[in-house]
Amino acid sequence: MFYKHSRRTVTAVAVTAAAVLALAGCAASGPGASEGGSEFDPDAEVTVNFTWWGNDDRAQKYNEAIALFEKEYPNVTVNGTFTDFPAYWEKRTTEAAGGGLPDVMQFDYSQMDSFGSRGLLYNLTPEYGTNIDVDAIPESALAVGDIDGKSYGLISSTNAWAMFQDKTLLSGIGVEPYEGGTSWEDYYEWIGEVTAKGNGVTGGADPTQRIQNFELSLRQAGGNLYTDEGELGFDEDDLTTFWESANDIREGDITPQQRIEELFPVSGFGANIAASELTWDNFGAGYLADSGKAVDDLVLTPPPTDDADAKDLYLKPSMLLAMSSKTEVGAAGAKLIDFLTNDPDVGKIFGASRGIPASETQREGADLAGQDANVAAYEESIADRLGDAPPLPPEGAASIEQKFWDLGKSLDLGVITVDEAVKQFFDEAEITLNN
Amino acid sequence: MTTTQRQASQTAAPLGSASAGPGSTAPRAGGRPKLSEKKRDGIAGYLFLTPWLIGFFVLTLGPMLISLYLAFTKYNLFTDPEWIGFDNFTRMFNDPQFQQSVQITLTYVLVGTPIKLAAALGVAMLLNYRSKGTGFFRSAFYAPSLIGASVSVAIVWRAMFNSDGPVDTGLGFVGIDLGGWVGNPSLVMPMMILLAVWQFGAPMVIFLAGLKQIPGELYEAADVDGAGPWRKFRSVTLPMLSPVIFFNLLLEMIGAFQIFASAFIISSGTGGPAGSTNFYTIYLYQRAFGDLQMGYASAMAWLLLVVVGIAAFVLFRTSKFWVHYGGDLK
Repeated sequence: MFYKHSRRTVTAVAVTAAAVLALAGCAASGPGASEGGSEFDPDAEVTVNFTWWGNDDRAQKYNEAIALFEKEYPNVTVNGTFTDFPAYWEKRTTEAAGGGLPDVMQFDYSQMDSFGSRGLLYNLTPEYGTNIDVDAIPESALAVGDIDGKSYGLISSTNAWAMFQDKTLLSGIGVEPYEGGTSWEDYYEWIGEVTAKGNGVTGGADPTQRIQNFELSLRQAGGNLYTDEGELGFDEDDLTTFWESANDIREGDITPQQRIEELFPVSGFGANIAASELTWDNFGAGYLADSGKAVDDLVLTPPPTDDADAKDLYLKPSMLLAMSSKTEVGAAGAKLIDFLTNDPDVGKIFGASRGIPASETQREGADLAGQDANVAAYEESIADRLGDAPPLPPEGAASIEQKFWDLGKSLDLGVITVDEAVKQFFDEAEITLNN
Repeated sequence: MTTTQRQASQTAAPLGSASAGPGSTAPRAGGRPKLSEKKRDGIAGYLFLTPWLIGFFVLTLGPMLISLYLAFTKYNLFTDPEWIGFDNFTRMFNDPQFQQSVQITLTYVLVGTPIKLAAALGVAMLLNYRSKGTGFFRSAFYAPSLIGASVSVAIVWRAMFNSDGPVDTGLGFVGIDLGGWVGNPSLVMPMMILLAVWQFGAPMVIFLAGLKQIPGELYEAADVDGAGPWRKFRSVTLPMLSPVIFFNLLLEMIGAFQIFASAFIISSGTGGPAGSTNFYTIYLYQRAFGDLQMGYASAMAWLLLVVVGIAAFVLFRTSKFWVHYGGDLK
C-alpha cells in the first residue's frame, strides 16, 4: 500500500499532527479589559452583536427597543439574537473559549463571577459618566456588577421572590387565595385544600424543588446559601429537614410531576393546572402569554415564612448588561447599554417584564400599569421583609441551582429517597465548587 | 486514471530500468533526474487528497488527540488544563449518574437494536414477494429512517406520547390508561426504543437486497426435502443472510451507542424525567457544556470510544462462528 516514499509521507504526517497540536496548545490567552472610556464616532458605520435570553414575548420587546436605538443612532446596526436560559450559558461558555463573545450581552448575576474574574468582560467603569449615564441608578445597585472595584456589568432591573396566584381560578374552586407571609405549614394545608376541591386543578407544585425557597428558610434562620468565601452555607441536616418538610404534600396534594415534565418549559401555573407558584416576580408577563390569563387574574403574594419578623427577602439584580472584553465597538456597545438601561421609551416597551427598572428615568418612563404596577406595588409591600443582599454567588451557583431542581423533581417522581438526594446534591456541589 | 496509465508505462518500459524511456529515472544530460511516472502519480494522488487530509488532521485527528490529553486533566475552558492523571476515570466509577447513564445506554443498545433488526428482517421478508404494492411499501418504510434522527421528528414524537397525545388516547380506547409516556420515568425508555424501531427502514432495505441474492434453488431443494417454512428460515435464509445480519448488527450497534439528538429533544436537554433519558452522550454533553467539566467529559468520550471499539472487535471475532460467507460472495 505504501509507495517507496512512504517514510517521507509518514514524517510529513507526523509533523503536521505535531503542528496542529502545538497550535491548538497555544490556547487563546485571557484578554485584558480595555482602559478608558471609548470615543463614539457618530459617523462611523458599526455593527453591534447583542444577545439575550428569554421567550418570544421578550424577543419582540427587545426588537422594538433596538429599532428605537437604531433610529437615535442611525450609524449603528444592532444584530439581535436570543435563546432560552439554559442554552444561553452553554453558548456563552463555548463562545468564551473560542474568543467570540457577542459585543453586548444580557447577563445573569450568578454568572458574573465566572466571566468577570477571568477578564472576559469589558470594564465598564470608564464608560460611566461618558457613554453611560448612571445618575439615575442608586449607588448600591450600581455596585452589584463590581469585581475588585471595577464594574463588569450594569444592572438593568431588580426582582424579588414572590408567589403568583390565580384568584379567578381560585374563586371558581371556592377557595380564598393564600394570604402570604404565614408559615410553610399553613401554605401546605392550603395547597391540600385547593387540590381536594380543585377538580383537576392543584394548589401548587412542590416548593422544595426550588433552591430559592430553601434560601428563604436559611435566611429566616439567619444564614445564607453561600458564605463569603464561596462555600455552601448549610449542611446535610439542613437540607434533609427542608426536603422532608414536604413529605406530606408529595402524596397527591402537589401538581403531579409527570404532568409538569410533559408541559416543560411551560410550568404548572402557566398551564393552568396549578393555582399558585413561587417564582421571581417578573415572570408575570411570561405567565400571561403562556396561560391566556388576564392581568386581573393574577395576584402577587409574599412567600411563606416561619418567622414573622424575618428579613429573608432581598432585591436581586434580575439581569445586567455586559460587554465582551474583546469587542471592537466598545463605544457603540456602551451607548446601547446606556439606552437599554436608562431610556424611558424602552421602559415603556418592557414595563417590568425584565424586573423593575433600576434606573429612575426608565422607571418613570415605564409608566407601570397593569401587571407591572402590581409588581412594583408588590416590591413596595415587602419593604419590611427586605434584608441585606446575600454574598455574590460563587462560580457554579447556576449549576448547583439546576441540580437542586433536578433532584427535587426526582423526589417528586418518587424515584429517589430524600437521603439519596441529599447525598447526591452534596457530592455534586463539592465537585462543582471545586471545578 | 492511474491504473491504465501505469499499465501503459509498464508496457512502454519496465519500471526502474535505466533505459531512456519516457518515464524513466535516468538522468538527462545537464538536468535533474526526472521523477518516474509512478512517483508522479503518487504525488498527484496525495495532492488531491490534501483537502481531505487537512480536514482529517485539523478537524478529526487533532481534536481527538487533544481530547485524549484533556481526559487526564481538569479543564473548565477558562483556566489552563490541570493534569490530574487517572482521577477522571476513578471518579466515573464512583459517580451514580455515570452508572445510570451506562445502564440506560446499554438497555437501549441491547434491547433496541435486536428489536429493530428483527422488525427490519420481518418486514423485508414480507416485501420479498413481488406483488403490486411492494414498491410503494418499500419507500414508505424506508422514509422514516431518513428523517428519523432529525429534530422535528423528535418533537413530534414527544407530542405524540403526551398524556393527551394520540398514542395515549388510542390506548385509552382499548382500556389501557397509561397517563402519558413523556413524563413517566419508566415509560420513556420504551418510547425511545419505539422511535429507534420505527426507523427500521434502512436495515430493511439492506436485508431485502440480501434476501434477493439467496438462490432460489436452495429453497427448492429444501422443499424437496420436505422442510416447512420455519425450517427453511432457520437453515436457508438465516445462514445465507448472515453476512448482511452481521453488517447491520455492527452498524446499528455503533449507531445506538451514540444516540443523542432525539434523546436531547425529547428530554429538552435535561436527561429526562428523573434521569430516565440520561444517555451516555447526554450526560457527557451536560458535564461538558452545562457544568464546564471538560476533562471529565473528554474522559467519558474516550471511554465510549474504547467500549464501542471492543464491542465491534468482539463482534468481528465471534462472527466466524455464525457468519457464513457463501462461495460466490466476495
